[in-house]
Amino acid sequence: MIAQSIEASRCPRCERMVVPPAHYCPDHPVAMEPATVAGVGEIVSFTTLHSPPEGFKAPLHIALIELKGGARLFCHGQETRGIKIGSSVGVESLDGVFYFSHMGFADRARLFWRRAGAGGEKVASISKSLAKGIWRGRSRGDS
Amino acid sequence: MNNVWIAGAGMTRFGRRDETLPDLIAEAGLAALLDAGIERPDALVVAAMNPEEFTGEGNYGSLINTHLGLAQVPTVRVETATSSGMAAVYAGFADIAAGLHRTVLVVGGEKMSHIPTPRVSEIIGRSIDPHERTYGTTMPALAGLVTRAAMQSRGLTLREMAQVAVKNHANGARNPLAHFREPVTIEAVMESRLVADPLRLFHCCPISDGAAAVVLTAEPAAVRIAGIGQGTDTMAVRYRSDLTSFRATQAAAQAAYKMAGFGPARVELAELHDAFSPFELISLEDTGLIPVGKAGRATLDGETALDGRLPVNTSGGLKARGHPLAATGIAQTVEICWQLRGMAEGRQVQARVGLAQSIGGLATNNWVALLEARA
Repeated sequence: MIAQSIEASRCPRCERMVVPPAHYCPDHPVAMEPATVAGVGEIVSFTTLHSPPEGFKAPLHIALIELKGGARLFCHGQETRGIKIGSSVGVESLDGVFYFSHMGFADRARLFWRRAGAGGEKVASISKSLAKGIWRGRSRGDS
Repeated sequence: MNNVWIAGAGMTRFGRRDETLPDLIAEAGLAALLDAGIERPDALVVAAMNPEEFTGEGNYGSLINTHLGLAQVPTVRVETATSSGMAAVYAGFADIAAGLHRTVLVVGGEKMSHIPTPRVSEIIGRSIDPHERTYGTTMPALAGLVTRAAMQSRGLTLREMAQVAVKNHANGARNPLAHFREPVTIEAVMESRLVADPLRLFHCCPISDGAAAVVLTAEPAAVRIAGIGQGTDTMAVRYRSDLTSFRATQAAAQAAYKMAGFGPARVELAELHDAFSPFELISLEDTGLIPVGKAGRATLDGETALDGRLPVNTSGGLKARGHPLAATGIAQTVEICWQLRGMAEGRQVQARVGLAQSIGGLATNNWVALLEARA
């Protein structure tokens, strides 16, 4: 998968970014401004909940991710196999819920390419929609 | 600022109790008043985290003062999530320190065991940021995240965390008021079922009912509150830059030490908030009682055991004494009081200064109190 842009907000005073957007900066009583941040980051920590609260199925994988753009967010994931603290992950929002998935070498290369120019952009968007299709298919299969 | 003394202490047995919460609070409150030799305090502070949802009753300050036969005594109810009890001690302390009243009864308790466990978890979980809660985060889930991060960055080991539970169960076995009075082995802890990987069932405190109370006075008594401090942090865990130490404990400890005019070197006994075993290790370091990175080793070496250099959770802690939410901070104060007065039969240690630390929510609103025996 490839980086999705995620809605965030930025503090005009300290530049701090938070996800999802908040009215006020956590560090100042100052109104935040709308911003976006790329859905790429690192695992800060993760856990698997074996007796999740009502409305969730066990095992429930939860991770705290730090995005490259600076904000941290909570995510669900399909699995935690192969995941370590510090692992690079991509983050996508589906129906307002964030999901992480492990970013392999190919994903990182595509990301790099995407940044490199317009040609890359086209390939990236194709692979992005492909990845989304696969993801949606997987989620549907599970529910 | 007036000196504030603890003239009386009392608590109920913690665990599954059939009595109502007002009855439990009355049992603890009247025991503390009797201990202090006072029938009618000048003011009353009541701590209860969520009696509205656990018991369906409200206007809790008035409910309790009427139930106690103290309806004419000015009463406030205090709440800072799971640290509500210590917040109530602080409110009573501030009242006397400011010279508004001469005697204050501080009582707190919770009654939860009559409610199914998932519902209890859900109600306690409301102290988590609403957005983070939509991801299914519960207190054990967040503690699991903290624990994994602490294992990675601070080198905490599963064995060190398990030893905290083993030690606290051993202490609880000596406390007639504790919820759990059976020792556990390190193997039993390490093989108990996974709750929130890497946290296991025996790393987590139980759901307990109970109440505790202290009587604070301006008149000198056996134990003085030398310092008390509050520390806070964001409700949203995603807003914090560090998962593996609690800013709220560090700030509370600094404030308490500053007020007391001494540092951690004088502390000889501590009651720490081990709602999850790794939290005792993190708290030992956040309060400065043990240098950063050394708490696990010190625990394995027995330094924090009953016969160690710095006994921690002689009551059994939240793990074994139990954790009736708003009772806990007061119960910690009661335990240190009894230790400093030589009344901790079966688990008595030699100490003149004790520290109590209480965590509210996922360390959003924490307290540290320093108690000193009268010279």
